[in-house]
Amino acid sequence: MAKKTLLLILFIPLFQVANAQGFQVNFQGQKQQGMGCAGSANYTDGSSLFYNPGAVAFSNENSVNVASTPVFANVLYVDSATGAGYRTNSPVGTPFSAYGLFQLKKDAALKFGLAVYTPFGSTVQYEDNWIGRFALTRLKLMAIFIQPTFSYRFTEKLGMGAGFVFSTGEVNLQKDIPVQDSLGNFAHAELSGKAMGFGYNIGISYKATDALTLGLTYRSQVNMAVNTGQATFTVPSSLTASFPNGTFSSSLPLPAVATFAVAYTFSKKWKAVLDVNYVGWKAYDTLAFDYANNTASLIDTKSARMYKNIMAFRGGVEHKIMDNLDVRLGGGYGFSPVQNGYVTPETPDKNRAYFTAGLSYRIGAHFSFDASVYYTQIKRTDKNLETNLNGTFTTKAIAPGFSFIYTW
Amino acid sequence: MVNYKLFTLAAVSLLLGLGACKPSYESPEFSKGEIDPTRFVMIGGIHTSGYMDDALYREGQENSLPALIAQQLSLVGGGAFYQPLVAEGSVGISFSGLSKMMLGYKTDCKGETSLSPVRVAGNGDASIWNDNTYNPSALFGNYGVPGLLMAYVSSPAYSNQNNYYKRMASSSTGSVLDDALATNLTFFSLFLGVDEVLKYAKSGAKDSTLLTAQEFEVLYAPIVSQMIANGAKGILATIPDVSKMPYFTTIPYNGLTLDAPNATTLNSVYNALGFSFQVGANPFMMIDPNANSFAVRQMLPGECLLLSVPLDSVKCNQMGVLFPLRNEFVLTNPELEFMRTRIQEYNTVIRSLATQHNLAVVDVDAFVSNLSDGFVYNGVSMSAKFVSGGAYSLDGVQFNPRGNALLANKFIQAINKQYHARIPELNAGAYNAILFP
Repeated sequence: MAKKTLLLILFIPLFQVANAQGFQVNFQGQKQQGMGCAGSANYTDGSSLFYNPGAVAFSNENSVNVASTPVFANVLYVDSATGAGYRTNSPVGTPFSAYGLFQLKKDAALKFGLAVYTPFGSTVQYEDNWIGRFALTRLKLMAIFIQPTFSYRFTEKLGMGAGFVFSTGEVNLQKDIPVQDSLGNFAHAELSGKAMGFGYNIGISYKATDALTLGLTYRSQVNMAVNTGQATFTVPSSLTASFPNGTFSSSLPLPAVATFAVAYTFSKKWKAVLDVNYVGWKAYDTLAFDYANNTASLIDTKSARMYKNIMAFRGGVEHKIMDNLDVRLGGGYGFSPVQNGYVTPETPDKNRAYFTAGLSYRIGAHFSFDASVYYTQIKRTDKNLETNLNGTFTTKAIAPGFSFIYTW
Repeated sequence: MVNYKLFTLAAVSLLLGLGACKPSYESPEFSKGEIDPTRFVMIGGIHTSGYMDDALYREGQENSLPALIAQQLSLVGGGAFYQPLVAEGSVGISFSGLSKMMLGYKTDCKGETSLSPVRVAGNGDASIWNDNTYNPSALFGNYGVPGLLMAYVSSPAYSNQNNYYKRMASSSTGSVLDDALATNLTFFSLFLGVDEVLKYAKSGAKDSTLLTAQEFEVLYAPIVSQMIANGAKGILATIPDVSKMPYFTTIPYNGLTLDAPNATTLNSVYNALGFSFQVGANPFMMIDPNANSFAVRQMLPGECLLLSVPLDSVKCNQMGVLFPLRNEFVLTNPELEFMRTRIQEYNTVIRSLATQHNLAVVDVDAFVSNLSDGFVYNGVSMSAKFVSGGAYSLDGVQFNPRGNALLANKFIQAINKQYHARIPELNAGAYNAILFP
C-alpha cells in the first residue's frame, strides 16, 4: 500500500500545467478543507495546531500528520482594448503541511506540537509576450511557517494554546522592461531573495455544552522582509550602467487573521462547523522595492496596493457513513481585499464563493487517510490605476488534497 | 487492498483531468459599425507616409499609421492595403538624401563618446526617389507624402516637385488627390496640415509664414468634399502642436552650464551689454534684431532651441555664447504663440468640417500633448522625451512603430465612437520603439 501512495505523490510534480492564484492559501487541514475550510472551534487532528492551538488541548493522542493540496489554477486575461486573450501556464502550487502532536502521558493537560505549513505562496507565470509583460511575467512567492506550540487544558471545558511562528520564504518576481536591444528583444528584470519573518498563533476553545464548542483564534501578522535580495537585469549592453545588477530590499506583510468559530454536534453521525474570519489585509498598502544602486533609469518603486480588511464566512457538515468513513461537504464566501483600480496580474482577486467536499477513512486503530477537493471560479474586470492594464481576469481553481495521519 | 488500488487510480485520473480545467476564451465580437472598410485610403504628410528615423524606409512603412489602421480594419472586413514600399534592407532616404538613423555611439568635439543617433550609411538610397512603384492592379491606400503642403494636394504635376510623390504617382501629370480618388475608396482619413506647420517650425520660423485659417479652410474643405462625394465615411485628424515634440524640447533654453572662470569671462564681455552670467545653468545667447541695438539677447523660458543646432559648435566653439544662436535654430515666444494660435484655428476648421459632414475626428493634438505630459500604457511609461520616451523615432518629430500604434489606437477609438463600430485596438507595447545597441 505504501508503494501506491508513493506513486500518487510522485505524480504531482509532473503536473506543471496550472498555478495557484492569490497569495493566501487556506489549505492547512484536510478535514477542515472538506467542510469549506472551517473547523477552528474544536479539535480535529494535528491540523488544529494551525486552526486553533487552544483546541489542541482537548486532544488525547500523539499523532503525526502530513498533507498536501496541489492547486490547479488557471487564469485567462482578456484585454478590453484589443480583445486578445492571454493565459497563465504556471507550475502547480503545492501547499503542504506537517503536524506533530505529543503528550507526555495519557490525559495530560499539557500538549506539545510542532506545525510546519505554507499559508501563503504560489507561482503565477503568464504566457510569453502577454500584454501585461511590463507589469509582471512571473511571481513566485513561498512562505513556510514553522510553529512550535504549547496547549493547556485549564478545565474540562476550556483549552488555550499558543504557538510561536518563525517564517522563512523566498520571492522571485520577474517582468520585462520596455527597452529593446538591436534585435528588438525586450530587457528583463528579475528580483529574487530570501525572506524571513516572525509571528504567533494563539487560540481558545470552549466547550459550552456537550454539543456546542466555541473557538476564538488570532494569527498575527507576519512581515516577510527581504533584506538583501538580488536584482538582475538583462538589458542591451549600452544600458548596463543604467540598470546595474545589485541588491534590493522589500517586505510583504502576511496579514493577521482573527477567527470566531462554532462547532455543533447534532448526533453521533452529524456535525456542523462555521468559521468567520476577519483578515487584516489593510497592512498591504504598498509594495516597495528599494534598490541599493539607484540610477536615473533605476529608481526605487512604491506601488500602491491599498488592500482592505475583509471578512470570510466558511462552513460545512460532516456525516459518519460507516464506523471508519466520514464524508464532508462545505463552502464559503470570501470578500476580496483588492479594491477597484488595484487589481494586478499577480492577484486577480475578487469576492469569491467556493465549494468543497472531503472524506476520512480509518484503517485500524492508528492510521487514517483524509482527502478533500476545493473548487472556485472568479471573474474580475478592472483598470489598474498604476499600469492602466484594462481587462478581465477569469480564474478557475481546483485543489484536491490528501493527508495521512498516524496516531498512537 | 483492491479498494486502495482503485482509489489511487481514481485520484491519479482526477489529477490528470484537472490540468484541463481552464477558463474558456471567446474572442469578442468585432464589427465595422456604419463604415464600409473595404478600401481604406489615407492622405497625409510625413507622419502618414511611414517616414521615421529621418528617412523613408521599409520597416517604417510597414508600421506606418495607415498600415496599422488598415491592419485592424481588416478584422472587420477591410480589404488588401498597398503601400509604395521601399525595398527590404534599403537604408532609406531623407529629404536631404541621407540614410535612416539608428542609435549608436558618437564621439563629440570634447572626445566624449556617448549614445547618439547616427546615420546607418554614408548616403541615402537614391533609387527610392528614382524608381516609380505605382501598380494599377494594387492601388495604394497610403497617400502619405513627406513634405506635402496643403496647396499641393490637388496640384497637377506635383511629382516634379516632390521626389516622394514622384515614386508613387500614377503619372507625371496627376495630383495626390486624383490618385487617391482613383482608388474608389470606401473609407478615408485625412491627416493634413502637419507638414505645413513643421516647415514653419523646423526652420525656426526663419523665412516662412503660415496659412491663415481662411486660406486653410479654402484648401481643406474641397478635399473633404471630394473624398465624401461617393458616400465614403471618414476620419479627420487634428494638427498637433509640434513644439511639444522632442526636436523642439530636448535642448533646454538654459542649457549653457558654466563654471566660475567661464562665467567671469562672459560677464566681462556681456555685462556692458546688460547681460550677466552665473555659475551653473544659463540661457543661451541668441540673435534677435528686435532685442536691442546689438541685436542679441538671452533665450527666455518657453523658447525652443531646435535639434538642428550643430551641437559640437555649441559645446566647443562658443555657439550660443560668444557667437549667439542664429534665428533658424530658435523658435521664439512670439513665433510659438503665432504658430499655436494658427494650429488651434486650423483645428477649429477641421472640427467644424467634420461636424458638418458627420465625419469622425481624432484629436492628434491631444495625443501629442498627452505624450508631452507622459502616460502609462499597459505598464509602459510613454513620454515625449528624446530616445527614452518610447514613442518618437530618432528624428524627434516622426513617431516610431510603437508611437504609430498608440496613435492608430486613437484613430480606432474615434472611428468606433463616431460610427458605432467595434474595431479592436492594437497592442502597441508589442511594436518596436528605439533599438539600443
